[in-house]
Amino acid sequence: MPAQDELRSTLDQLHTHLQKQTYNQTTPLLSRAKLALLHLNALIPTPDTPRAHLLLARETLELGALLAIRQRAHDTFTRYFQQLQPFYALPESVLPAAGGHASKITGLYLLQLLSQSDYLSFHMLLETLESEGGGVRMGDKEVQYPVRLEQALMEGSYDRVWGETKGSGVPDDEFRMFSEVLIPSIRHEIASCSERAYASVPMANAKNLFFLDSEGAVAQFAKERGWSIQDGRIYFPNQEELTAGDKDIMSTSGTVIENTLGYARELETIV
Amino acid sequence: MVDEMEGVEKTHVEEEVEESAVTTIKANFALLERAVVQFDSRFTLRALRSISSIRKKLDDKTLFEVIVTTYNVGDETANVLIKAIGISGAQAKKIVQEIEKRDNATLEATKKKDVIPEVDIYLAVLIQVFLYDNKIYDRGASFSSVLVDRIRSLNRRTLDSLAARAYFYLSLFFEQLDPKPPSKQSQVIDMRGKLLGALRSAVLRKDTDTQAAVIVLLLRNYVSTADIAQADALISQSEFPSTAPNNQLARYMYYLGRIRAIQLLYTEAHEHLTSATRKAPTNTVAVGFYQASMKFLVVVELLMGDIPDRSLFSQPKLENALEPYFKLVQAVRAGEMQGFLKIVNEYGPVFRRDGTHTLVLRLRQNVIRTGIRRLSLSYSRISLRDICIRLGLESEESAEYIVAKAIRDGVIEATIDHEKGFMQTKQAGDVYATREPAEAFHERIKACLSLHDECVRAMRFPMNQHRLELKNAQEARERERELAKEIQDGDIDEDDAAGDFDGL
Repeated sequence: MPAQDELRSTLDQLHTHLQKQTYNQTTPLLSRAKLALLHLNALIPTPDTPRAHLLLARETLELGALLAIRQRAHDTFTRYFQQLQPFYALPESVLPAAGGHASKITGLYLLQLLSQSDYLSFHMLLETLESEGGGVRMGDKEVQYPVRLEQALMEGSYDRVWGETKGSGVPDDEFRMFSEVLIPSIRHEIASCSERAYASVPMANAKNLFFLDSEGAVAQFAKERGWSIQDGRIYFPNQEELTAGDKDIMSTSGTVIENTLGYARELETIV
Repeated sequence: MVDEMEGVEKTHVEEEVEESAVTTIKANFALLERAVVQFDSRFTLRALRSISSIRKKLDDKTLFEVIVTTYNVGDETANVLIKAIGISGAQAKKIVQEIEKRDNATLEATKKKDVIPEVDIYLAVLIQVFLYDNKIYDRGASFSSVLVDRIRSLNRRTLDSLAARAYFYLSLFFEQLDPKPPSKQSQVIDMRGKLLGALRSAVLRKDTDTQAAVIVLLLRNYVSTADIAQADALISQSEFPSTAPNNQLARYMYYLGRIRAIQLLYTEAHEHLTSATRKAPTNTVAVGFYQASMKFLVVVELLMGDIPDRSLFSQPKLENALEPYFKLVQAVRAGEMQGFLKIVNEYGPVFRRDGTHTLVLRLRQNVIRTGIRRLSLSYSRISLRDICIRLGLESEESAEYIVAKAIRDGVIEATIDHEKGFMQTKQAGDVYATREPAEAFHERIKACLSLHDECVRAMRFPMNQHRLELKNAQEARERERELAKEIQDGDIDEDDAAGDFDGL
């Protein structure tokens, strides 16, 4: 089987590239691998695809997914993830879960959804894992990691998020790729919370608060958000003034009139 | 002696039961025929409604007797139905002999009138019920598949409500086949094609009964394997018929609520689940449905930051089933993290079975928030360290961020002093100076008005009644015209009148 042998050698090359972290030649190699899969008719699993081909196909797609993450090509990764789904749904007797990276890929996908703040898809995917129908278990550490992050984010324990992304809790190198996306977004979350919660904060404390490296970075960040700095303290714009307009009855007389007219019309239909 | 007597009595009673089942089924045939003649589905629905009472007495002998006395000997449909019951040859022979003895005529000799397809399908649905109750799932599944194909090929509008029922049992059978959902190899996944096909033809034929039933079944199917994305796509691509029967609407609302809850759209979920629980039958028939939708409603209410009424849990129908949820509510209300985690662990399997587990896990943040709110109400100033200890949080930094987020999200009105490490509660403003009372008032008026609209819509208007009125009006007009003509002609009336006056 020449196609199979060719695929094997292409995959080996891809593995070396992944280890050496040289990504510039991987795209043509992947295209060649997928072409070979098409020749084997194994890009989409059918009931009579032989197991050897299924294993090869899964390996190819997983490699593609991991390489996409390394190159920060998130759309490509999503595509690979979706192509992998039919393979992960196969029963254990047809395609054993061992040797595959179902948990890792799923965990990475969850993390990607989290970094894009797509909580809707995140929870929909989580629901499928909860039902324990597929090969991916909730208890796997690769899946637990994004779940823990989401929980901390929802609660507001941002220091835990920070700790998770830095510490040893990160399951794999690929997961670290998302930290650089997540940290700015939590920094902005903290900033919007701080605006409401504090009147002012000293520069030195703000450095820790926003997980920034130096006071210079703090000043830069404050400027971005439009905060004023005086005597080494950050003053947040007064929120009271911003919301005062809302509470004014006079400004809402329009809605009151509209509602009353609405009631009148409804009453007319009833009587 | 005594034993014998009892035995005799027992067989006597049994016979009577069988007899009554046979007659009820046969009485329903008349209803079905009327439904076809008058083209009114209400008669069909009445026949279907009696299934729940027939169900308890249904067995293979009854069904067999009904079939052999309804169809001519050697009828093809009858043979298919008899095969589906799976009655043994010897037993069949015995029943035939009994009937022949009773009626004093052989079955071959008595000629029966032609049987309408509605009766065929009604019997088939009864067989489905029988097979399901006796747990003969394999045969039931294959029989149901044949049945729905037959219904689709018949394409009669008077079959619609029967078809809806047939699809319902079809999907029940497939759910029972191994491997059961949520396994990814479950046979329910293979059935989706059939259901989607049924939905397509139901929509094209304006068959709202089947359409409603099949949409609900598909949603149930998707939810059973947790394919929420697909379920969501189905909801957005299909339209649930507004004339659907109440029970289908209740089910639809329930699944819609579940899906929206998973998608974090709690307000929508709450709305749908509330209408599901309100539309659920209040008698004892559908307690399970009521309980299931109540469970979700409770969790969604908690997720929205509300605490469900205590009286809810003292309803006799809910008391036992909702006990874990009652404890959950207590833990969230108290804002106790430890207690909450304990309950999640203890009742984990229950929540998982109910499908609420992921939702319950999301409650963690609500527990913390309720805790913070309680603290902010009771203290005007509290140190972050104390908050951390009371709520069982990991660190003071966590506490600070959590409180800040709570302030941002409007859970509490407070400020944090970072250097001194405490939370200062703001004086609560006068709520009547804001727009809030007006908004609440508006909400209530809107609810009342929509209730009125719904009531009007829910009333039943008899078919063609307005035509009758029109006809009456027309007749009256005609009489008037005749009268006018007579007056104009002036032959009798004026004389009469004149005569009258003469008399005076």
